Amino acid sequence: MTAMLTTRNGLFLIFGTGFGFLLSRAGATSPDLIAGLLLFDDLRLLWVIATAVAMGALLSWLAWRFGWQARGKGAPISLKRKPFKRGLVIGAVLFGIGWAVTGVCPGTALAMLGEGKWFAAWVGAGIVAGAGLGSRLNRRLGGTSE
Amino acid sequence: MPDALTSLIQALAAPYWPPVLVGLFIGLLAFGQRWATDEPLSCSTGFARIAQFADRPREDDWRLVFLLGIVLGGALAGLTDGAPAWEGTAEEFGAFYTALVPDTTLGSAAWWLAGGLLIGLGARLAGGCTSGHTIAGVAMGAPASLTASAVFFGVAVATAQLAAWLLGV
Repeated sequence: MTAMLTTRNGLFLIFGTGFGFLLSRAGATSPDLIAGLLLFDDLRLLWVIATAVAMGALLSWLAWRFGWQARGKGAPISLKRKPFKRGLVIGAVLFGIGWAVTGVCPGTALAMLGEGKWFAAWVGAGIVAGAGLGSRLNRRLGGTSE
Repeated sequence: MPDALTSLIQALAAPYWPPVLVGLFIGLLAFGQRWATDEPLSCSTGFARIAQFADRPREDDWRLVFLLGIVLGGALAGLTDGAPAWEGTAEEFGAFYTALVPDTTLGSAAWWLAGGLLIGLGARLAGGCTSGHTIAGVAMGAPASLTASAVFFGVAVATAQLAAWLLGV
C-alpha cells in the first residue's frame, strides 16, 4: 500500500476529486438532465460539454504551439491521441445504448455513488464486469488491453 | 459591484452551477492534469483495472486513485449543495427514466446491471468513454476520439428518442 502514497497519486486524487465535484455541479449526475440532453428538452449539459471541450482545445493548441513543458518532466506535455482501433465503432454503439438506457457514464457513476445515488452501484458493477470483458476481447482483437 | 459578487456567491451555492462556468472549470482541470501528470483524463480503463484487480499492471494504479477521487468529489458536492438527500423518487429520475426502467426492485437492478455491462464493454472496445474520448480526446483533436464521440452521441440520442416515442413520454 505504501507504494500508492506518492506525490503523483496525491495529484490524481485531487484531480479526481475536482472532476467528481464538477460533474455533480454540472448536473451530469442527474439522470433527468441526461434525458434532457438526449431528448433535446434541456441542453445545459451540451453547453457544459461544449465549453469544456473548447477550453481544452484552446489550452491543448497553445501547449502544442508554444511547447509548454509538463511539470517536472523537462519535456513538452505529450499529446496522447487515442488510436483508431478495431472494435471502435461497435464499441461506441454499445456505449451509446448503455448510456441512453441508464443515464449514466463511467465517470458519473462514481460521482453518483459519492452523492448517495445508490442505483449507480448497480450500473458501476455492470461497468466493471463489462470493462473486464472488453479488455479480454481487446487482447484477442489486437494484442492490447487498452 | 457588491450586487455582482452576491449573485456570483448565490450561483456558486446552488446545486448546479452555470453550465458555461462549470464547462470552463472542467476544461481547465482536464488540461491541468495533463500539465501536472502528463496523463489525459481517463475513467473506463480504470474500471477494467478493477475487474483485473489481482493481476493489474501496478504502474496503472493512479487510475484507481483517480476513480476514488471522483467518488470523494461526488460526496463533497452532495454534502455541500444544500439539497435534500437522494431518495430515488420518480421526480428525481424524471419522466423518461421513470417510464423506461422497470419498477420492481429486481427488474430495475437487472436493467442497471445490463446497461452498465453495455457501457463497460462498449467503452473498452471503443478505447475510451465520454471522459477519455469526448472531453480529453476531442480537445486534443484526435480523429479516433471525434469518431467515437460522434457515435456515442448519435446512438444515445437515437436510442433515447426512439424509446421516448415508444413509451409515449
